[in-house]
Amino acid sequence: MEKLDIPQGTLDLMILTILAREPMHGYGISQRLAVLSRDHFHVNPGSLFPSLYRLEQDGKLKAEWRPTENNRRAKYYRLTASGRRQLEQHRERWNRVSFAVTSVLEGA
Amino acid sequence: MILLHRLASIVRWLVHRNGAEQDLDDELQAFVDMAAADNVRDGAAPVDARRIAVLDLGGVEQTKERVRSARYGAWLDEVARDVRYALRMCARSPSFSAIVVITLALGIGANTAIFSVINALMLRSLPVREPGQLVEPLFKYPRDPRLNSYSWKQYERFRDQNHVFSDLIAVSRDRFQVTGRTSGPEVVDGMYVSANFFDALALQPAVGRVIGPQENQIGSPSAAVAMISWSYWQSRFNLDPAVLGASLIVDDVPVTIVGVMPREFFGLLLGMDPALWMPVAIEPLVRKPSRLMNGSLGGAIVGRLKPGVTREQAQAEMRVLDRARLTELEARMHDVQWRGVTIDLEPAGAGLSVLRDRFATSLLLTMAVVGLLLLVACINVASMLLSRGLARRREMAVRVALGAGRFRIVRQMLTESLMLSMFAGVCGVALAYVGAHALVKIIASGRSPVGMPQPLQIPVHLDLHVLLFAAGAAVVTGVLFGSVPAWHAFVSAPSSSLREIGGTGETKPWRRFGQSLVVAQVALSVLLLSAAALFVRHLTDLRTVGLGFQTNSILQVTLDWSRSGYKPRQMGPLIRQVLDRLASMVGVRSATLAGMTPISGAAGSQFINVKGFTESPDDRRRVSLNTVAPRYFETLGTPLIAGRDFAPEDEGRPRVAIVNQAMARYYFGASSPLGREFTIEGQARPLQIVGVVGDAKYWDVHETPPRIIYMNAFQGSGLTNPIFVLRTDVPPMSLAANARRAVRDVLPNVPVARISTLAEQVDASILPERLIAMLSALFGALAAVLVAIGLYGLLAYTVTRRMKEIALRIAIGATSRDVIRMVLTSALGLVSAGLIVGVPIALWVKGYAASALAIVAATQVERPITLPVNPMAHVAIAVVAMLVVTLIASYVPARRATKVDPMVALRCE
Repeated sequence: MEKLDIPQGTLDLMILTILAREPMHGYGISQRLAVLSRDHFHVNPGSLFPSLYRLEQDGKLKAEWRPTENNRRAKYYRLTASGRRQLEQHRERWNRVSFAVTSVLEGA
Repeated sequence: MILLHRLASIVRWLVHRNGAEQDLDDELQAFVDMAAADNVRDGAAPVDARRIAVLDLGGVEQTKERVRSARYGAWLDEVARDVRYALRMCARSPSFSAIVVITLALGIGANTAIFSVINALMLRSLPVREPGQLVEPLFKYPRDPRLNSYSWKQYERFRDQNHVFSDLIAVSRDRFQVTGRTSGPEVVDGMYVSANFFDALALQPAVGRVIGPQENQIGSPSAAVAMISWSYWQSRFNLDPAVLGASLIVDDVPVTIVGVMPREFFGLLLGMDPALWMPVAIEPLVRKPSRLMNGSLGGAIVGRLKPGVTREQAQAEMRVLDRARLTELEARMHDVQWRGVTIDLEPAGAGLSVLRDRFATSLLLTMAVVGLLLLVACINVASMLLSRGLARRREMAVRVALGAGRFRIVRQMLTESLMLSMFAGVCGVALAYVGAHALVKIIASGRSPVGMPQPLQIPVHLDLHVLLFAAGAAVVTGVLFGSVPAWHAFVSAPSSSLREIGGTGETKPWRRFGQSLVVAQVALSVLLLSAAALFVRHLTDLRTVGLGFQTNSILQVTLDWSRSGYKPRQMGPLIRQVLDRLASMVGVRSATLAGMTPISGAAGSQFINVKGFTESPDDRRRVSLNTVAPRYFETLGTPLIAGRDFAPEDEGRPRVAIVNQAMARYYFGASSPLGREFTIEGQARPLQIVGVVGDAKYWDVHETPPRIIYMNAFQGSGLTNPIFVLRTDVPPMSLAANARRAVRDVLPNVPVARISTLAEQVDASILPERLIAMLSALFGALAAVLVAIGLYGLLAYTVTRRMKEIALRIAIGATSRDVIRMVLTSALGLVSAGLIVGVPIALWVKGYAASALAIVAATQVERPITLPVNPMAHVAIAVVAMLVVTLIASYVPARRATKVDPMVALRCE
């Protein structure tokens, strides 16, 4: 199946959403994104990691090294309070945007 | 908040860079491991699983790079990388880098040095509360400089009657003999201040307390207090806080030290650092008779404008308040010229205007000259970098081939340029430090304006303003000259291919551009050199043309009679003995006495009444006076036109006078003045004119010779402290020791106060012109050297480029003379182009330079003479200088061209 491009600016929102449920490492995030998007999205690590680093630099995420369930070591990201607030705001805005776009498309 | 996070993470990144890199590496490894494990689970062979995972990642290094550049502060990394690379490039050709840095450092250093003096004299605000509100009242009597000098009584009148100032303060300079417990006696500068001085300026003492309103009881012992300057505290008391309460003997009066002045405050008057600060109420204690009490104590006034009052409003009120004083002066001095005098209020936040008035124009003019020099340096460096840019095409091609974008390369070139200019900026500041102090020394060597100490103390610091200026100059020059090689790189980067660079290929437009840079340097240098020639010529003219006396070989000796105990009546015969003794010294051609020598900074003048001559009161002007002994005119080389010189026999006979031609013309027209009589205002006895001498300048070299009356030193009251003037056959200063000995033999108890030459005296009076001439000549020469370097570089490069052609020519029979002619032709071609551009500009600017000199002269006298300027001559000097520079610069490349061995050169290919 042909993959879709991730719309501009929504990658951060999706990362924050995934991490809102539980802390996760980079690979886990990319896998979960594929599953949750029903395989429509495939995030390239070349885009994922820069996003993660930037969110971390902005204090939205906090990272720590932890063993995985398979006993490897991986860097887990978790949401900070500020990240949670950003998630709320962005989700709210996204809902309005998608509602607006859907309305336009259906009303035409 | 976010900003803070980002900043913190940038710092973390910079500090823990290696850790962070390792972290990223580990994380990506973990990613690949997990992906590979999943691939294995999905059925891939373990060998392939990892490869697929890496492929999936899109390359580990590429991902890392994207993460790095997504980081905030990533640019810092890139800058650091650029700088490291630039440092490597500079280190690779150290001599080239050194030449560039030295060239620019000279330019930046010269500019910073001049700027630091301008900063000190014109820009820096006094370290007091709201300096912007401070103003000073200045008035200008015709022929005098602007003055801020009023009697203390007048100050009190202004202070009590005005409605425009929240504070009006006054200071008065004096010199005091001071003896401390361990120091002195020594003579120091000191200031009387009005009691409100410290309050009005909100000055805080370094230690102790300030002088306050409680010290305003005129002449009361409670006013015997002083503050000392920080530098005095440091040099005499070693910064000992126990100085408070200590006693100083100031002119026989014990004075208690109550505080130390703030370290950064030297007073309102730029150019001095008074050691003592005392309330004016102390004056009657230390001075008998008191000048404060008899009304002759003068001082400078500074006011703080009330909020909401403009300078114009305050000025209008001051003019009204000043009326009474001017009317009184006019009546007392019988001088209508006081009628036209008005007060101007000028900003005083940067200190009082005396030094600004005297030096501002010359400093700004010099600033223009060094600005041009920096431009020449800039162009010079640009052309050097450009030719190196051509030489670096191979390197650029390699970098393009390796994937560097053109912007990347441009950024790299600019970084290199900025690095060089920053280095130069640092060296320039060091040079400026030395240069500024040298400059201050030169300025201090001139004659101080009236009321200022000699020598001047100008506090020049490399403060924040100066450092910012230097940094600004470095960045601007870096961008200016850096843009040339950067643009070259930008244009040529995409086309740079290794294959193409193989030969010595080079694009013609760039060669033309490189040549035009040399042409521009030549043009600017012609400008600088011809201006320098004009300034130097003007200086020599000032020293010689129309002086009316000789400055060379004249020695002046003054004595200090103050502690000798002789009464003026006894001094006459002694003075004659000394004069005879000096006149008989070997090497002395003639000797005489004078009350004043020309251009000494002081001279007397009076109104006179000539029998049978009437003039309207408005035209009445003072006539300059001097009292001289026989042989004065012979000694100074002023020609006797008619009549006779003074003679020793005049003593005891009716008083006689000698006048100059200007005086004779004005009062007697075409008829002979010999035998005519006049009286000096306020005196009854007439003087008879017995001789006429040529016109000579008297007060100032910038003026037309004034009307002068000379009186005989051996008549009337004579001279109490004359100057002994000797015309010598040998260098005058070589007689100084003999003169001292001669004086000591006759008058063992009268020390020699000063021995100087007349040439020195004239030079001290034209310091601004000397400064301009000296600096413009120095910088003009520097510009010529830069041109030589630029030209040399270009010619050397040309010879290398045309090596094959030259070899061919030699092979088919060209002599070395032909080859030299070839190199010279191309050099002269460039220089001629520069001259064609530069000479018209130089001729055009000449007018401005001449009028700038007129402005400089006007800062010194009212109506300066205009010396004739021959613009062609100065430009011609500059052109000849440029041609000489050309020949010197082409010598080595031309020699090298003749040494080309055709066999070797041709085999190369």
